Amino acid sequence: MTTGPDGRAGGSFGALLDVTGLRVHFRTPDGVVKAVDDVTFSVARGETLGVVGESGSGKSVTFMTVMGLVNRSYAAVSGEVRFLGRDLLTIDAEDLRKIRGDQIGMVFQDPMTSLHPMYRVGDQIIEAIRAHRDVSKDVARRETVDMLGLVGIPSPAERAESFPHQLSGGMRQRVMIAMALVLKPDLLIADEPTTALDVTVQAQILELIDELKRELDIGVALISHNLAVIADVCDRVMVMYAGRAIELGDKDNVFGRPLHPYTWGLLESVPQVGGHDERLVPIAGAPPSLIRVPPGCPFHPRCPHRFAPCDRDRPDLVERGGGHPDACHLTAESKRSLWAERQARRLAATS
Amino acid sequence: MRGKGLIAAIAVAGVTVALAACGGGGSGGSANTNGNTTSGTATKGGTYRMATQDFGFTGAFDPSAEYLGWAFTLYGNLLIRTLLSYNHTAGAAGNVLVPDLATSVPTPTNNGLTYTFKLKQGVKFGPPVNRAITSKDIEFAMERIATPSVAAQYGFYYQPVIKGMAAFLAGKAKTISGIQTPDDQTIVFNLTRPTGDFLNLMAMPASGPIPPEVGKCFTQAGAYGRDVIASGPYMIQGSDKVNIASCSAIKPMSGYNPTQRLAFVRNPNYDPATDSTKVRQALPDGFVITIDTNAKDIFDKIGAGALEGSPDDPPADIIAQYASNSSKKQFLKTNSADRTDFIYLNTTTPPFDDIHVRKAANFVMDKAALKLAWGGNIEGPVANHIVPDVMYKGGQFDPGDYNPYPSTNSAGDVNAAKNEMKQSKYDANKDGICDSSVCKSIFFMNRSVQAYPKMTPIIQSSLAKIGITLNPRELPTSPAYTQIQTPSKHIPIGANAGWGKDYPDPSTFLRTLFLGSNILSSGNTNYSLIGLTSAKAKQIGALFPATGVPNVDADIDKCTAQTGDARNSCWIALDKKLMETVVPWIPYQFRNNVDLIGPAVTAYDFDQSTGETGYAHVAVDQSKQSQ
Amino acid sequence: MGRYIIRRVLWVVVVMLVVTFLAFLIFYVLPSSKPENSFVGKAPTPELIAQVRKDLGLNHPAIVQYGLFVKRLFLGDKYGWPGLGFSYNTKSPIRDELISRFWVTFGLAVGAAIIWLFLGIVIGTISALRRRTAMDRGAMGFALLGVSTPVFFLGILWLFVFWKTLHWIPGTGYVHLTDDPVGYFTHMISPWFVLALLFAAIYARVVRGNMLDVLSEDYIRTARAKGLTERRVVVRHALRAALTPVVTLFGLDFGILFGGAVVTEKVFNLPGLGNYILDAAFQLDIPVALAVTTVTALVVAIMSLLVDIAYAYLDPRVTYS
Repeated sequence: MTTGPDGRAGGSFGALLDVTGLRVHFRTPDGVVKAVDDVTFSVARGETLGVVGESGSGKSVTFMTVMGLVNRSYAAVSGEVRFLGRDLLTIDAEDLRKIRGDQIGMVFQDPMTSLHPMYRVGDQIIEAIRAHRDVSKDVARRETVDMLGLVGIPSPAERAESFPHQLSGGMRQRVMIAMALVLKPDLLIADEPTTALDVTVQAQILELIDELKRELDIGVALISHNLAVIADVCDRVMVMYAGRAIELGDKDNVFGRPLHPYTWGLLESVPQVGGHDERLVPIAGAPPSLIRVPPGCPFHPRCPHRFAPCDRDRPDLVERGGGHPDACHLTAESKRSLWAERQARRLAATS
Repeated sequence: MRGKGLIAAIAVAGVTVALAACGGGGSGGSANTNGNTTSGTATKGGTYRMATQDFGFTGAFDPSAEYLGWAFTLYGNLLIRTLLSYNHTAGAAGNVLVPDLATSVPTPTNNGLTYTFKLKQGVKFGPPVNRAITSKDIEFAMERIATPSVAAQYGFYYQPVIKGMAAFLAGKAKTISGIQTPDDQTIVFNLTRPTGDFLNLMAMPASGPIPPEVGKCFTQAGAYGRDVIASGPYMIQGSDKVNIASCSAIKPMSGYNPTQRLAFVRNPNYDPATDSTKVRQALPDGFVITIDTNAKDIFDKIGAGALEGSPDDPPADIIAQYASNSSKKQFLKTNSADRTDFIYLNTTTPPFDDIHVRKAANFVMDKAALKLAWGGNIEGPVANHIVPDVMYKGGQFDPGDYNPYPSTNSAGDVNAAKNEMKQSKYDANKDGICDSSVCKSIFFMNRSVQAYPKMTPIIQSSLAKIGITLNPRELPTSPAYTQIQTPSKHIPIGANAGWGKDYPDPSTFLRTLFLGSNILSSGNTNYSLIGLTSAKAKQIGALFPATGVPNVDADIDKCTAQTGDARNSCWIALDKKLMETVVPWIPYQFRNNVDLIGPAVTAYDFDQSTGETGYAHVAVDQSKQSQ
Repeated sequence: MGRYIIRRVLWVVVVMLVVTFLAFLIFYVLPSSKPENSFVGKAPTPELIAQVRKDLGLNHPAIVQYGLFVKRLFLGDKYGWPGLGFSYNTKSPIRDELISRFWVTFGLAVGAAIIWLFLGIVIGTISALRRRTAMDRGAMGFALLGVSTPVFFLGILWLFVFWKTLHWIPGTGYVHLTDDPVGYFTHMISPWFVLALLFAAIYARVVRGNMLDVLSEDYIRTARAKGLTERRVVVRHALRAALTPVVTLFGLDFGILFGGAVVTEKVFNLPGLGNYILDAAFQLDIPVALAVTTVTALVVAIMSLLVDIAYAYLDPRVTYS
């Protein structure tokens, strides 16, 4: 048995999803876009992995690749994506299709555009069932209605006859979740599931995902740029920047003792959960081009704490004495004091 | 465009299609310039198949109203017998009147005022009428000509000539007093004046017999065209299925759809013994003409043996392709169409109100170059006078090489032209070059289609040699005609016009085109305004020069009244007089009719009287026909 | 829905009145239109001209003539309903001829439509799915060729190759379906293809463009994420959405063919409406031109009505209003 970079047990069994050294490089006329560059993580049954980062950090592409939804004729994909022991990057397309939707469900960001506008929502779910199970339409319809009920849609039998445009955004996202979970998958990938929804609905949806996770004993990968969402429901957190994972650990660790200056910036740029009147500090500078990723640490041009090695040596995501893995050249000691200093300054500015 | 001319080359706005190529002409005698014989033996049977872009009928194929030359051809060769007819053959022999329903060609009595025809026995109408043709059926046809609602478009030939016809036309008489039918085999015509071409009128389809029991059912112009009752060797397919028990029972014959197809089959009641094989041989079992809207397709099909012919003119590229290939040349048939192409000179507008200018223009014109523009001699010989030679009795204009404005190779004689110009009031310094401002930038009308535009630069450079410069304007056929047919437009010169005969008598050129009293304010065909009076000029908005305009009305009336050789000589003299002392035109071409025939045609002839294929004498070899 | 349709049908009537009025204006009132001149022969007298004008009904003021035209159209005339009048050229009632020609054009339009929809959709879809491959470039090259090749050229080339050279098809012309079904198809296959090629090219481009748009839609990603087969994703999800706008295009194109297949009908010598109106225009056969215009306009109006109804059925987001 090997030991994963986050210090947890990994390998061929134990974890539901095991991603190792994943690289997704798109060929474009302007050059190679290194959308995902050497990312390693895992998701276990019964846990929620939160994936956080700015847009363009590679979080969506990572999971699209897991689902096999990245067009391999435009993208060079390497590494390993083990799901229940099988490498999804090498199995044939038909096997992958059978896993997709059946064993891995996916919920997308925008419920307004993610359902086909010309089909009734019930039929869209029935279609998903019948793509994987050889059941009659009636059976599939019953399961659909049950699932719609389970995700909290009132009078689900009637709602199943609705067209997407007749439903509210929250209802549609519930439909998406029902569609993703109706076949009782082992893994649910939720890509920004609440971004397009208002705050109250957002909380309901997150709660729903959390409930279903427990009820169905599945693994969840929750992708979000919103730290509050991650903080709400995740067990572990992976922070991504410029196509790389730069910090990975239990939620309490990452939020309580963040190690990477980028993570610090992220935390400072959102209101603390339960906090009030805090000054929000955006991270200075813009995310780098994924075609010309800065040498060394990709974050160094924006990092206020950069020093000698940062623009030359690329820091790997490893345990550096901070309690969980991160990819920053600073010593664990400096990280602790710098984070404390920044928190103090922030508090001072607020009061 | 098409070869079918209106039998009269009417030239009014709106008849674009029909006007494009009316007739032609052949000077120098023989009209049959390309040989109308074919290889193979002419046998009976088969169907002679044709296609046309559209029938182009002007009167919906009702013989009382129809005026299209090709329709005349179908009637005379296939469908309708008239008191007199022609041999439907090429050359002058085809312009000679022969008896058809009548037992002989009558000689007039009563000082040329009375004509008595005896009808042959045993000639019957085709189905569904199936009875003997009588003089009453001819009389009914004559009454129909004088009925305004169905009137023949050439009714004006008959109406002033036959006594009582004008009164009948005006509704003042129930019968035509000048026509008597003492018995079923006799019909007598009394005329208002001696009329030398009266017999020609009795060979026109409108004068053919119409059974009153059917004819009276059709009171609207053209409607009878769907149910024409046969008297000739063929009938319209489906004739026998028509129920004539009552007018309301009569339905159109199935063989004629005006926009798609016209089919003739043998008339079972036709007795060849009553006819002459010189007039009609009637060899094929049927004739079918379909509409094919794709002109190129038609001639491709003829070439492939899928059709035998077309009344349409072959396009120039097809003619060139066949004419230049010795094995294919035999399929091109070229005959004089009895049509003259000319440049007209308006005698009321300067500088052409001066006869010396008109003469100079005739001298200087490079007709050889104009012929080249038309594609050379296949389109017809050079014209040096007005009426095509074939139309004169015996086919000879006397002398045959008559040319009042001779030049080497017809290329124009600049010195002779200058000598004429010197005598003109518009050449003040007498150097043979017009120096008056009226010779500068003269409006010149031409057509924008066919060979016409190619003539414009030739005419310009010819006239420039005597100091006349042109301001050319090219329009499509119909609008160009509208311009020159409206005297109030004062168009001084134009090359867009042509003229074909109505029937083989010079009067259809010389009387119709140059009679001063016929000048109209619109639709006028006396383009040169010969015989215009100052009163009429005022009335129609034309100019009237102080020196007056020439007038030949007396000559025309004199010739009209004559018959026989005297008539022929009279018209020839008038033709020469017009060319020498009136000079209304610069004639440049007697136009040919060019037919392309298919490989299955074993006999071909040309109907000189109408200027189209002589269907009465064609034959097909079924084994050479393809689909 | 019922009220919607009634309202739309009334709108069709209004459109028809406007179209026929404009057509009437163009044909009858514009200068230099003197149809009687075709009937008066070489030496017309004023009396004859007056007589012909009376026969043709030209003696009434234009507005009265139009009123009579509309009245006959709705109430029928002595030749039946709808009253389309009497042809100047053939001196026959227009109605029967027009109906017979309508079916010729209808057959041409339907056959061509089937071919062009099939070719357009298949080529457009494959092009979109194989974007930037040799197949896509080849297909779009074909589309460019199809769009830019004049129908008469294509038709003549087609006849040269398949009729004159290979003898695979009979020459031009029309055979009635009821007389000879096989002959009908062998005669129609060429005009169908030649007419269809132009449209197939246009539709291939439209379908390709729509498909590319639709394929990048989120719901296509959803369909794939559900684990549907690629065929099902393309056919049920992408094509369904990509073709819905094509219905609008198709409805109008199909309608316009009823007066606009002139060149095809001419080249292949089909006795359809296009040939009819063309000849009528050349011969100043105004009643025919007007009748064909009316029928064409009616077909276009009905097609657009059908398109709107079908669209609301095909796209649930559209409501009748």
